[in-house]
Amino acid sequence: MKKVRFYLDKDEEQVWIQEMANKGWALKSFCLGVYTFEPCEAGEYIYQIDLLDNWNGDKRNFADFMSEMDVEVVSQWYRWVFLRKRAENGPFEMYTDIESKIEQYKRIKGFLTAGLVIELICFLQELNVAIKLREFEIWAATALIGMLVLGLLRVVWKCQWKIKQLKQEG
Amino acid sequence: MENSTPLTEAIFYILLALRNPNHGYGIIQEISEMTDGRVVLGPGTLYGAINSMVSKGWIHLYSEEKESRKKKEYLITERGIEVFNQEVKRLSELLENSKRMGR
Repeated sequence: MKKVRFYLDKDEEQVWIQEMANKGWALKSFCLGVYTFEPCEAGEYIYQIDLLDNWNGDKRNFADFMSEMDVEVVSQWYRWVFLRKRAENGPFEMYTDIESKIEQYKRIKGFLTAGLVIELICFLQELNVAIKLREFEIWAATALIGMLVLGLLRVVWKCQWKIKQLKQEG
Repeated sequence: MENSTPLTEAIFYILLALRNPNHGYGIIQEISEMTDGRVVLGPGTLYGAINSMVSKGWIHLYSEEKESRKKKEYLITERGIEVFNQEVKRLSELLENSKRMGR
């Protein structure tokens, strides 16, 4: 089964993927907003989403390390990885202490901030063209990019909020 | 030495678990046993900690299996032992002071 979704917030995305797994649909792959699921036993897997440290990095190394803990790298998209573990093999949470949770949100925040800056530049350029040409299609594209900018802004802010919360806990 | 203490609980226990060569899953198990299941490191936490300690020179890659699973074993370095001992000294001071004045 394929589903198309658009998530900027990995926490929300993870909740949805887990709900699917609990209903008997295991995520098999992800590419450009298309999620492919295959049938599994309800609740067979626990899913986690993570952002790797760097672009080219040591993907093999990461996957080998994870497999030692019964964790499978299901799908990878750029630096984003979808991981799962069989529920029968015990609990699964990628980050278990405050320090590493903060590190994860900092990584995600940095990644999304870069995206935000790029989209903001695109937005301003598009807006400039829209004002000059006054064409509906260009206004529509401008609005679309504007929504993306707002969406990214929300998630970056949310990451910052999470980091602050975690620091207060620690 | 740069200001490397206090160590996080995860880093402290990983250094302790690497006084003998140990691999990822082995480290998690040993720490869990040492703490009666109180500290069970998540795979992401351990992966990040190992990479950061390797780059700081506190631990090093000891051996690597070439077969299918490529298990990597790590071992504490001289530098890591120094950092660990410095932290133990700091913790002992805390403990002694609390015993002396805490009641």
